[in-house]
Amino acid sequence: MTATLTATGTTPAGTTPRGPRGLVWSVLRVHRTALVLWGLALTAATAGLIWMYVIADEARRAYLPCSEPVAADGYPSCSSLDAITADDYYSTGIALLTSALTFAIFPVAAWAGGALIGRELESGTALLAWTQSVSPVRWLAAKLAVPAVLLAAGTGALVLLNRWAQTDGNPNVVGDWYGPDVFVGIGPAAVGYVLAGLALGALAGLLVRRTLPAAGAGFASSLVLYLVLDHFRKDLWPKADRSQAGELELPRSAWQVDWNATWGRYPGEGTPRFTSATFHPRSHFWPLQLVETGILLAVAATATLAAFWLLRRRTP
Amino acid sequence: MTTVVTIETSTAVAPSRGPRGLVWVMLRVHRWALWFWVLLVAVGAGALLFVHGPGTDAAWSEYRAMGCDSPEVGQACDYSGPAISRLGLANSLGGLLNFVPLLAAAWAGGALIGRELENGTAQLAWAQSVSPARWLAAKLAVPAALLVAGTTLLTLLHRLAWSSAAPLRSIVPWREWYDDDIFLANGTLATAHALLGLAVGALAGLLLRRALPALAAAAVGLLVLTQALGSLRPYLWPVETLTQKGMYPPYTGMVLDDGALTSTGARVEDPLCINDTKCLADHDIVGFYRDYHPSSHFWPLQLVETGIVLAVVALAVLAAFRLLRRRTGAAV
Repeated sequence: MTATLTATGTTPAGTTPRGPRGLVWSVLRVHRTALVLWGLALTAATAGLIWMYVIADEARRAYLPCSEPVAADGYPSCSSLDAITADDYYSTGIALLTSALTFAIFPVAAWAGGALIGRELESGTALLAWTQSVSPVRWLAAKLAVPAVLLAAGTGALVLLNRWAQTDGNPNVVGDWYGPDVFVGIGPAAVGYVLAGLALGALAGLLVRRTLPAAGAGFASSLVLYLVLDHFRKDLWPKADRSQAGELELPRSAWQVDWNATWGRYPGEGTPRFTSATFHPRSHFWPLQLVETGILLAVAATATLAAFWLLRRRTP
Repeated sequence: MTTVVTIETSTAVAPSRGPRGLVWVMLRVHRWALWFWVLLVAVGAGALLFVHGPGTDAAWSEYRAMGCDSPEVGQACDYSGPAISRLGLANSLGGLLNFVPLLAAAWAGGALIGRELENGTAQLAWAQSVSPARWLAAKLAVPAALLVAGTTLLTLLHRLAWSSAAPLRSIVPWREWYDDDIFLANGTLATAHALLGLAVGALAGLLLRRALPALAAAAVGLLVLTQALGSLRPYLWPVETLTQKGMYPPYTGMVLDDGALTSTGARVEDPLCINDTKCLADHDIVGFYRDYHPSSHFWPLQLVETGIVLAVVALAVLAAFRLLRRRTGAAV
């Protein structure tokens, strides 16, 4: 609390010679712990992804065809490939960082609800700031813009690094593109998620005006958003259909949504007479990503507008 | 903040019935948490009862109707019908039990201890006729009792649902007894972990004395502790070993390690000869072994781990009381 008072109270008057000033500076200063944690997380993730890129080729070697004992056909021996440990580190590391990108929305929303808005309204430091030369609208704009820029830049950079470290995106090594923990972390939707989390958290903070309930409400609302999008993701773009007589096998990279077989006299025995499948081919990755990102940005914009409207109504 | 202050005064008015004094204050201040807990237990219990009864029956008859129980199971069984999906959803709701420790840690760090120390309502309480040690004892005992009651109920129901879904385990995403979440929910560990969450949260709250940092530290601390304790699990009871000549013994139970055996009985890494007899002879491989825990090790593993977790809980509680005594300097 002391820190907050110092930051908002004295700094705008006692001009800092360099670096960010005024509101931006006070937001950075009050939330310096969050800033440091975000910086540490970004550094650790960047270092991890660079390491992943370094061992990427070695990890892929473990998935080459092999033979035992080594035959004249030129395949490497299976025990030599089995001895490679890089593939375990690589797959685990990529999976960890990709899911961290997917789930970043939850701590962001809880923080925005609790620390960014809720605490300031509960302890009255927001009201103090408004009696200085900062209007409530400018206060909220700074509170949202500074974290939004930092979050979008950091997440965007990590997504690009992640795609770079995944090199060829071999699904045996890095997981299928449509996996619930994979999809978000390899496209622009990751940025959409953190921004939506920030806006939902801020709205929760303004609605509840108390630290812990706001953190809980921010977390819960982002959880609902995440679960809803996860459930309806397959319906965000028209699906492809394929049907043929007999068996049907889709390529590995296809996201199978529905599968139906017409059987002869004895269901489940032998081969089916006719098979049809509904699926998303690999080429649907970008349309699905862009539609989901669009929805997330719309949610973020709506929540931000609602937050400003609420603030306007609350303050004269 | 207003609520808390009101409560401190209303204790003086002494309610005529029900719990009194500190216990009543606890329940009143944290009534939202209490309602949330009641709701969570109710949802989890309802889902587990559904799995135990109608859910499994419906999925089973749907499974039969698809012709999946014929001896030669065909591809049609790849298809999951609405009853089977419903059963899967109910299972995941029953799995809410696995999030209780994390919620307990976050709540205990943030709302139970951290907020009171940050706002000064704890100091206000100590200025009344409540000593700091009694204050902390009530703060820990009341939630502990409620957590034990709720998790015990959910554990019992989970065991019931687990046993009745046995024939369906191959088709619903409902896994083996040694999977982390199943292992936790089927025994005493669920309760021990919930108490661990409470103790870690309280310690974090007393250490940091601010609501949000304590909440975050408690959640992270609990995740780290749970991971560390869980990684010990396979080594808490002696393993059993299966050996077989010429080929691998059957894959069963919680497998820890497997490999090849030479003629002297030494364990070596499998040279991956598959069926090449010359290769096997070159490497002097006569058989294969597999270290595993059979399902009969469930209770020994469960009880040893519960003992360890409870010891950690006791340490955390002890540390919390010592910290409080050093901070307040009061004779307890």
